[in-house]
Amino acid sequence: MSKRPLLCVRDLHKSYGKRDAKFEALRGIDLDIFEGESVAIIGKSGSGKSTLMHLLALLDKPTSGSIKLSGKDTSKLHNRKLNELRNKEFGFVFQSFFMNSNDTVLNNVILPLKISGVGFRERRRRAMEALKIVELDDKAKNKANDLSGGQKQRVCIARAIINNPKVIFADEPTGNLDSATGERIEKLLFGLNEKKGITLIIVTHDQDLADKCQRQIHIADGQIFKESYREDFDGDGDNDGMRDNNNIHHIDIEEE
Amino acid sequence: MKILDIIKDANANLLRNKLRSFLTILAIFIGSFSIISTSAIQAGVNDFIDSQVDSYGGDGYLAIVSKDSFDALEGLQGSMGDGNKTPIEYNPDKIQTGMSPITDEQMEKLKKIEGIDADSIVEQKTLDITYITSKETDKKYLVAAEALPPGNVKVDVVTGKQLDLRADEYQIQLEQKYVSALGYTNEDIIDKEVQLVVVDEYTRAEKTFDAKVVGVIAPGVVSMGQQYTNNKLADDIYEENTKYYPDEIKTQTFAVAANFDYEKYSVDDIKDKLEEIGLSGMTIEDIIGTIKTFFDVILTVFKIFGLIALIAAAIGIINTLFMSVQERTREIGLDKALGMSSSKVFLSFSLEAIALGFWGSVFGITVSMILGNLVNTAFHAEGGFLEAFPTFNLATYTIPDIISVTVLIMVIAFLSGTLPARRAAHKNPIDALRYE
Ligand SMILES: Nc1ncnc2c1ncn2[C@@H]1O[C@H](COP(=O)(O)OP(=O)(O)OP(=O)(O)O)[C@@H](O)[C@H]1O
Ligand SMILES: [Mg+2]
Repeated sequence: MSKRPLLCVRDLHKSYGKRDAKFEALRGIDLDIFEGESVAIIGKSGSGKSTLMHLLALLDKPTSGSIKLSGKDTSKLHNRKLNELRNKEFGFVFQSFFMNSNDTVLNNVILPLKISGVGFRERRRRAMEALKIVELDDKAKNKANDLSGGQKQRVCIARAIINNPKVIFADEPTGNLDSATGERIEKLLFGLNEKKGITLIIVTHDQDLADKCQRQIHIADGQIFKESYREDFDGDGDNDGMRDNNNIHHIDIEEE
Repeated sequence: MKILDIIKDANANLLRNKLRSFLTILAIFIGSFSIISTSAIQAGVNDFIDSQVDSYGGDGYLAIVSKDSFDALEGLQGSMGDGNKTPIEYNPDKIQTGMSPITDEQMEKLKKIEGIDADSIVEQKTLDITYITSKETDKKYLVAAEALPPGNVKVDVVTGKQLDLRADEYQIQLEQKYVSALGYTNEDIIDKEVQLVVVDEYTRAEKTFDAKVVGVIAPGVVSMGQQYTNNKLADDIYEENTKYYPDEIKTQTFAVAANFDYEKYSVDDIKDKLEEIGLSGMTIEDIIGTIKTFFDVILTVFKIFGLIALIAAAIGIINTLFMSVQERTREIGLDKALGMSSSKVFLSFSLEAIALGFWGSVFGITVSMILGNLVNTAFHAEGGFLEAFPTFNLATYTIPDIISVTVLIMVIAFLSGTLPARRAAHKNPIDALRYE
């Protein structure tokens, strides 16, 4: 199978503020991420990890440089298309949960499907499926706020997978959790990567978590200073032998 | 996102901060309550005045006298009022205080004025009836009556029916107060005969007219004190009243009533044309206009109060929604990150504003209608302020009024909501997610 970059990033810059207050958070990032990979973006606090992830996830626009998704320049896509991509192809797990804490677990998980206009029964059925995967189907009716931190993060994972995404972006998914709970979350995420071929992009400052990914992108001061591969991984980006290739998803962006 | 989901969410969001939403709705409630209440009273008063106008000849009714008479009447009033007007000279050809008859020539020209229905022109005669009585009582009562004006006249009747103006028998419609005085009830007086008696001032000879009662007049302002007769009864009583008059005076006409086509011609047009031939016309609005103006002024003041309340409520909506946009910054960020479009975010906040407006106006209208009906019932009860006017509902709620007030308030709410909704729609998902 030939290499096909899912995300192709060239000379990416992102700066915040203007003139005197101008701050360059990213200064020239070149990066290819392949379908079915698990990639860790690792670096110190303030190094620009989240900024990079937000750009990759099409949540924000770069100051300069290009991001191609499945070969298509994303700067040329309309907002409507961007919304649709985030809604249908991406899953998000954020650092501090980001849930509507007064709502039920079920309603939180349903959110992406509600936004895309899936009917009530169908979205309920799929939410229960997703909750079963994270083993929280018995908590569906509970208020999100009443869950423990680990349970909340599992709800977020259920929300991230409900739309059968091609890519999951996870920003410090275990940052707020104790190591045992963190491990459980990691298992879930890597299980999704292996069984369903979902591309995994994890932002972390935790070397142990990064070590579990096939590839690690080290960034400091808005630049990549090192790329490394997991020991058992050959590092040529060819995924043969890692998992069943039939499961790998392709994103096809049809022309507007 | 489905529109039904957005509507559900908008209502759910209102319930999230119940007290705040309630206070905002309360402000809208005050505005909608005063506007719908004043509209209802206006509709009630207009209904009443319209029914009065109808009983006096309808919108096309014109009372016509000669210009000299009109000036003379004004002059008389003026000379009593400020004393600066010169007194009116005595003229032996004119029998009433300065009143000039309408000449035959003017009458011919009147018939030819475009817009005036020549067939409707009827001489207005003052009938001099000495008393009214019936077979059910020994008592005799003073009474004033006149021929019903021409045109699409509909007298507001409690029981019975309209007069047949061209009937060959004597017909009369009586006010309610005569019914019991003559020993009947509203129901059983219909089709009974009452006696109208004219007593000759010199010979004391009595002439009795047996008139059939066809209807009982609902009490009102305009028709107050008048009984209506058909043409034959009026003509014969007038004949009796004027039997000693010299012929040239007997045939003189001082006032006529006529109908004009008010849908095609403006009142001012017709009045100008009358002026050209030396006549002067008055519509029913001229006659009762002051009552209406009085009510209109009061109600306009109340309506302005209502609008001011609504403006305050609109500011309340803006404030409430800005607070809720602020509170839900992270939520909006999440929605947008997960692919919700800016226009849907805008729509969801707009719908929240519209929902505030909707509930405010629904409560305002409901409470107003409940109170309005209580007031109507209380006023019509025995001893009530409107006991004498059973057909007059002070508060009348019409469907168009209810719909237009609701729509007006929802539009105001929507417009107030656009500011906060725009702020929400323009939120950047990243900034919103970073927001603590
Ligand atoms: N909206 C913004 N305006 C100004 N500066 C910003 C903004 N967002 C991020 N930055 C700056 O950009 C730099 C990178 O931020 P970023 O959030 O990407 O760091 P990070 O690597 O994710 O750190 P952490 O591990 O603490 O989450 C930081 O110095 C931050 O102060
Ligand atoms: Mg970060």
